[in-house]
Amino acid sequence: MNTYVWLVKREFWENRAIWIIPASIGVLLTLASLFGTVEATFFDSPERTRSMTGMMFLAFGALFFAAMSLYSYWYLLDCLYTDRRDRSILFWKSLPISDTATVLSKLFVGLVAIPIVYFAAADAASLLAAFVLSVRAHSLPVNALWQPDVWLQLQATWIYVIVTTAIWYLPVTGWLLVISAWAKRAVMLWSILPPLAVILAERLFIGTHVCLRMIGDRLLGYSSTAFNYPAHGAQWPGDMSGDQAFGPSTAWGPSTAWRILDPRGFVSNPATWIGVLIGVALIAAAIQLRMRKGDC
Amino acid sequence: MSPLIQARDLSKKFGSQVALDHVSFAVQPGRIVGLIGPNGAGKTTALRAVLGLTTYDGALEVLGREPFRERAALMSEASFIADVAVLPSWLSVDHAIEFVGGVHPRFRADRARALLAKTDIAGHRRIRELSKGMKTMVHLALTMAIDARLLVLDEPTLGLDILARRGFYDALVNDYMDDTRTILITTHQVEEVENLLTDVLFIDKGRIVLDCSMEDIAARYAAIAVTEDKLGAARAEQPFHERPMLGKRILYFESPNFERLAAFGDVSTPSVADLFVAKLSRGAPA
Repeated sequence: MNTYVWLVKREFWENRAIWIIPASIGVLLTLASLFGTVEATFFDSPERTRSMTGMMFLAFGALFFAAMSLYSYWYLLDCLYTDRRDRSILFWKSLPISDTATVLSKLFVGLVAIPIVYFAAADAASLLAAFVLSVRAHSLPVNALWQPDVWLQLQATWIYVIVTTAIWYLPVTGWLLVISAWAKRAVMLWSILPPLAVILAERLFIGTHVCLRMIGDRLLGYSSTAFNYPAHGAQWPGDMSGDQAFGPSTAWGPSTAWRILDPRGFVSNPATWIGVLIGVALIAAAIQLRMRKGDC
Repeated sequence: MSPLIQARDLSKKFGSQVALDHVSFAVQPGRIVGLIGPNGAGKTTALRAVLGLTTYDGALEVLGREPFRERAALMSEASFIADVAVLPSWLSVDHAIEFVGGVHPRFRADRARALLAKTDIAGHRRIRELSKGMKTMVHLALTMAIDARLLVLDEPTLGLDILARRGFYDALVNDYMDDTRTILITTHQVEEVENLLTDVLFIDKGRIVLDCSMEDIAARYAAIAVTEDKLGAARAEQPFHERPMLGKRILYFESPNFERLAAFGDVSTPSVADLFVAKLSRGAPA
């Protein structure tokens, strides 16, 4: 077990971008809240303040989440490739660490450690910004932007999103690890071109779109699987106006996060578990490739 | 004592190209074995198989383990330097020591630090900031701080200048070698390791062409510088190789009658490098 702790530490030594990127985004957002214009009308009623807070927390979260998705994609694609490119794999392989442990440690960093770092950065940045804006909108008491229940909902949403995206996108993760463990160069192209080629070949030679639909459902089907669409048509808090989303009298009230998250639907969807099976198979394949790529 | 490395019928193909062709050899504990061969002879493939870095056909046992399946376990008792400058460039020297100390049960960090204290390499520096010679010394210090039963070195000094090469072997001889260690080494600079070796394995085109100890070389092989007038008589003793040398010809013999040879000139033991050249140009005497 101790070996895993060292392997994760190693990833943080090597990939300092894991914390530099979210820290930089956090600093930029804090600067923006310090020097940006504050429209006092945003805070002219408790309801508007409340929805303003919710929107801000959500926007911050979405920004960090987007950055994290891009970084994780790059990280997973790169993690079993760089040490083959510079041949330092020969050093790592001279140590009593199994290839399974190596691959699993990188999987852990990609699916758990990086999301936690971004989550912490998003929290720190949004709390700091809420505090700064409260102070700057001086007509209000300092704690006006501090809405514990809204904040808590977003905490829960973050954790839920970390867990469910890790599960839902496991086949994508596995695919990226396979490419990372196998490709001699151009990992980015290899990650994209084979699926495209399969889709095109199917369309040209068989005339069907099964692969396109499967891949499309996986890439785009996450939010419909993990979230419950409210009955009145709004699909996602981001699609609603602020008042609608966070006002106490509308659908996205204090308890809305609990209603919009759909863990039961997510867990009972067979597509979730088919994806997990494919993901596990791909990760096992990545481990086998890693074992065989001893001579780069 | 059972051998540390036992290979029987070891084969490896890359596509249609045969890298190892039913090779069998054994390495006994306490020996320092030079695996010597031209480029593409299969040296590196053989070492990669021994280290569990590649699949193979045939039977191979290293420290009682099957290398490919049990590489991680094997690496707690064996260590290797596969090439110069393969330490990751982003790693700092201190972190390298910390990390290996964390994952390796037989690594002694104080020993690594003591070895590095003899050099002027500061611990906070990253590998990418070091010269090639310094990188090699860091790698060697990390490796020597592991109490390994088997050390494998694959061209450890390739591309280093003569000072760095000498420093490498001096450190290896003075601070590492004792009779509990077994070392398997490949290098092109045969002259530099010749006096360290206890055994040689010559490999060519995927086959072992010579497997013997240094003492056996003296007992089995002879070289004589013969003048033109005695050449005919000397050739009757059936040299397996000859080459011109300052107006004389050097003749190489395998298992000769040493008494009869003495009549043609001074009989000497060929150097490993000369024997290697002689052996590999066999069939085409110059």
